[in-house]
Amino acid sequence: MNQAVILAAGEGQRLRPFTANKPKVMLVIAGKPILQYVVESLAQNGIRNIVLVVGYRREQIFDCLGSGAQFGVNINYIIQERQLGTAHALAQVKDVTENEFLVISGDNLIEADTIAQFVNTEPESLIVKRTGNPSGYGVVTIENNKVKEIVEKPGVVKSNAVNTGIYAFTRDIFNFIENQLDIPDVLNTMIAKGYPVSVQETNGLWLDVVYPWDILNLNDVILRRIKGNLGGTIESGVSLNGLVSVGRDTLLRSGSYMVGPAVIGNNCDIGPGVCILPATSIGDNVVISPFSTIKNSVIGNDVDIGPGCIIQDSIIDNGCVIKGHFSACSGPADIKINEHRLVNIGAILGEGCNLASNVVAQPGVILGNHCQVQALKVISGRLPDKSLVF
Amino acid sequence: MCGIVGYIGDKQAQSILLSALSMLEYRGYDSCGIAVVSNGIKSYKNVLRVAEMKEIAPQIIGTVGIGHTRWATCGEPTRVNAHPHFDCTGNIAVVHNGVITNYPVLKQKLINDGHEFVSDTDTEVIPHLIEKYYKGDLEKAVELALLDIQGSYAIAVIGAGENKLVVARKDSPLIIGVGDRETFVASDVPAILDYTNQVIYLDDGDIGVITGDGIKIKKDGLEIHREEHKILWSVEAAQKAGYEHFMLKEIHEQPKVIRDTLSEYTQMSEPIVDLENLREDDRSILILACGTSYNAGLVGKYIMEDLVGVPVRVEIASEFSCYGQTPEKTLAFVISQSGETADVLKAIRKLKGVQCHVVAVTNVVGSSISRIADQTIYTRAGPEISVAATKSFIAQLMVLYWLAMSYSKVDAKRLADILLELRQLPSKVQWMLDNGEDILQCARYLARFENVFFIGRGLNYPIALEGALKLKEISYIHAEGYAAGELKHGPFSLLGENTPVITITGQDSTYESILTNIKEVKARKSPLIALTGDGDEAIKEFVDMVITVPRVDPIFSPVVNTVALQLLAYYTARERDCPIDFPRNLAKSVTVE
Repeated sequence: MNQAVILAAGEGQRLRPFTANKPKVMLVIAGKPILQYVVESLAQNGIRNIVLVVGYRREQIFDCLGSGAQFGVNINYIIQERQLGTAHALAQVKDVTENEFLVISGDNLIEADTIAQFVNTEPESLIVKRTGNPSGYGVVTIENNKVKEIVEKPGVVKSNAVNTGIYAFTRDIFNFIENQLDIPDVLNTMIAKGYPVSVQETNGLWLDVVYPWDILNLNDVILRRIKGNLGGTIESGVSLNGLVSVGRDTLLRSGSYMVGPAVIGNNCDIGPGVCILPATSIGDNVVISPFSTIKNSVIGNDVDIGPGCIIQDSIIDNGCVIKGHFSACSGPADIKINEHRLVNIGAILGEGCNLASNVVAQPGVILGNHCQVQALKVISGRLPDKSLVF
Repeated sequence: MCGIVGYIGDKQAQSILLSALSMLEYRGYDSCGIAVVSNGIKSYKNVLRVAEMKEIAPQIIGTVGIGHTRWATCGEPTRVNAHPHFDCTGNIAVVHNGVITNYPVLKQKLINDGHEFVSDTDTEVIPHLIEKYYKGDLEKAVELALLDIQGSYAIAVIGAGENKLVVARKDSPLIIGVGDRETFVASDVPAILDYTNQVIYLDDGDIGVITGDGIKIKKDGLEIHREEHKILWSVEAAQKAGYEHFMLKEIHEQPKVIRDTLSEYTQMSEPIVDLENLREDDRSILILACGTSYNAGLVGKYIMEDLVGVPVRVEIASEFSCYGQTPEKTLAFVISQSGETADVLKAIRKLKGVQCHVVAVTNVVGSSISRIADQTIYTRAGPEISVAATKSFIAQLMVLYWLAMSYSKVDAKRLADILLELRQLPSKVQWMLDNGEDILQCARYLARFENVFFIGRGLNYPIALEGALKLKEISYIHAEGYAAGELKHGPFSLLGENTPVITITGQDSTYESILTNIKEVKARKSPLIALTGDGDEAIKEFVDMVITVPRVDPIFSPVVNTVALQLLAYYTARERDCPIDFPRNLAKSVTVE
């Protein structure tokens, strides 16, 4: 099998504000968008013919992946104008698929090994993973290694095997796509008509991003696997501990203390005396001023962090300007996105926010894109895009 | 202003020549042709785009060949005038980029000697001259023929029964791509990137002979060695990758271009060019350029005068090269995206004549401009395919900002603020790209008009020029850029319901003045579109439509405003179904005067 169809058209509403200007698959984790990890995993398995179904904010995907040449793959972009569902997306690629092909979602993190085991299976088949809490997923009931039924988010759970959304198909699948919107419905139709669909189980990594705090979880998992790489200029008196990756043209100033795993991008200016603690990813072109401490956080590109800031368990998107003594400490927060959840989190800041000096963020604050906050304010709860906090 | 290619190796030449030519169409595309050594020489040429030729050209068998894509300068675009051109016997074929200035004399002499010409081109004298000197050694004949020729050229020559390619250049670009048992020749690197990334840049006066055994280069009769360079950018940059047009792709690359430029320069502690080169008695700077680069130069004037406090003169290269004067030893920045612009090259020679220190700002490594300047600063735009310059303009601005900052006389604190703001710029530009809905609406509205004025003040006056240039070149709407205060000295008589005015509202002290200009225009019933900073509610009262740009330090407003106007031109041209990447009568790199 040497072709894969990646589904990357969706928006990811629950990941707002981060998905207001970019598709879910372009969320950057440990220095790379999720979609890039998927493409790299496929390339490692020799799958070089990639069909990418794009839709929402697709320019961002074009800008990042281009023709695929830099990843050793060839990408054919297919546009799904209205994101009606996975089966609808699949129907768009009918004219460009080979006899056998993989289907995979662009917003799940999977390991190259998981794909390696799967590429040699006979289509039609799908990968399942056993999980302790299957009720939020597509639950797969299995009989003799064949799928009996897939039920989305069932009330009564009949199996602990969930559908990973990774499939191997032949072109036969297109004969069964009628008006169903999602692939599991198509598979149920196939099974009902006596067409077998086999199952492969994986114990490998399979992570999904649904809510903003999942970004931190994925960041943590990916950072455990990074390789250390020191670029740029590291002044004397900088202490590097554990695996730390520093990009080209970055300047780490004297007295800074880094504890890995951490990734710092290109052309950053950090320190003097900045403390970067484990599970932190910092984008390109970021300035972090003296005496700031950052722990278990994801910082985007072009962010300017003033002196004396404390940032924990937080996500700060591209182009934010944060003046001195910003405090975003972690704590339990009850956040409502569709339903209430209790999570340990610091602050979530959308793109291009401007925070004046001495702003304090309550745990779990979600600040929309391009918000402005005046000095000495305490921010909490959920603030829409372009809010002004006086 | 044409593209030439050549191939010698063990593969069939035709398909390689055509795919290489398709990457050179930015240099011209009114006709194209190929010739291949194949039991004599077989050729096919016509008034076609390269893609059309791929479809209909008959298969010619042979592994040595040349090709050409034309932008007509001497002789109309017809099949007969298309290259390659032949001698009387049809045994010598030549493709040529450049202008032979003494061709009328040469042609008459050759006709008197009995040679028969078929085309109106200057090029045709070359194969006939080679025929005249040919005594069994093609290389020798080319060498002698070139001695007779005045003007500029990059040529590739094949001869019937000769398993070799002879190439030469003077004042027109030519590179050799070194592959595995095969060799490529082209006007520019993208043509060969699909096949190899090892490149030899030929110098003026070089004559190269390429055979199965290798490459031999001679200059002034002596064999010399030219180093191979490895090209670091990939063919990736020359593909549309999902986008409908190169222009939109290149507009979207601008945040990355800004980050790459910053990355290159922020770590630099010494200024790129030593201002000490300035004469004590005349501390002034000269900037020379053409087209979009000239507009960048004008922005450069404003920022350098503001930050450095030295007077800056900006001149159009084609005017300066003939009529301009400058005191000896002036510091001159010469800007050209391609580095091959003929007028710019001529102007540099003039500057060198009076011992000026010439600093080239170009996007193409190894280009002619970089060879003759004293110093070269490369913009980090990557290859730009769309004829309408976008990212190369932004990259030029970034270099000019950086130059101004490195010489800056303003206090260190202000400089630190500017630097922080500069780091925000990629995100601000990305914001512009992500929020294009109001621009799309304005474009739909604008598409129905045939005349448009762009006005701006101060730093944004050059941006008015650039906005007008972008709109006219790709959407074919007549557009003029004006300094806002100048509109009432003439153009007011053209205002009215059918002539929209686009105002580029600076986020600085010019705001009040431009508001006055807006009211003047409004009184003449012209539809008004205003570009203004996010949150400017006041202006909405006076104008019909608003394009919102992010708030930036006033000094960087040209950057965000330019991106907005690029998108406006792009969407307007798309609305009018124009061939955006290849506008009529234009070519990317202007290698003729």
